[in-house]
Amino acid sequence: MDSSAQASVSTADIERLSDKDKADLRQVLQKEEQRNFIQSQSHLFTDICWKKCITGTIKSNVLDSSEGTCLANCVERFLDVNLTTQNHLAAMRQRHGQ
Amino acid sequence: MDSDSVKKAIIKQVILEANIQNSRHLVEKINENCFEKCIPKPSSSITSGEKTCVTNCMEKYMAAWNHVNATYMRRVQEEVNKGSFAT
Repeated sequence: MDSSAQASVSTADIERLSDKDKADLRQVLQKEEQRNFIQSQSHLFTDICWKKCITGTIKSNVLDSSEGTCLANCVERFLDVNLTTQNHLAAMRQRHGQ
Repeated sequence: MDSDSVKKAIIKQVILEANIQNSRHLVEKINENCFEKCIPKPSSSITSGEKTCVTNCMEKYMAAWNHVNATYMRRVQEEVNKGSFAT
């Protein structure tokens, strides 16, 4: 791995950034943060859904079609739960006057 | 360094670190879940059958991760299109 670029950016370098590049960076970093969030959620979902869907012993290195379907359904339903919780929480908050 | 190369260096470093973090996370989860699956009763040494199970499990877990990630991203896009995440 190329580590020569590491630590090559100093505080002085950062001060040299133009306003346009600062704006570019902000945008790139925001997208990167989103990508990281999705990836870390994927780790959580894979862990949860693996336990639910891969129940037998490991016989091969690939997913069979029923395991694939189960994983996809598992993710979708987990997200449904997520959305339902959020919506219900908002409704409860409203009912109790904030 | 001029502004553009500072920008590029920062982006490169941030992406590199995120990728390292992501692969560490994946390896940690593979160890947890494949240990659970392949070594139900730890004996005095690992057997070749257990090793085969671990390598199969590892590849299968990666396939599962990719499948989950693709499903998740599809759903996020769908919800964005539906306007579920009103700002």
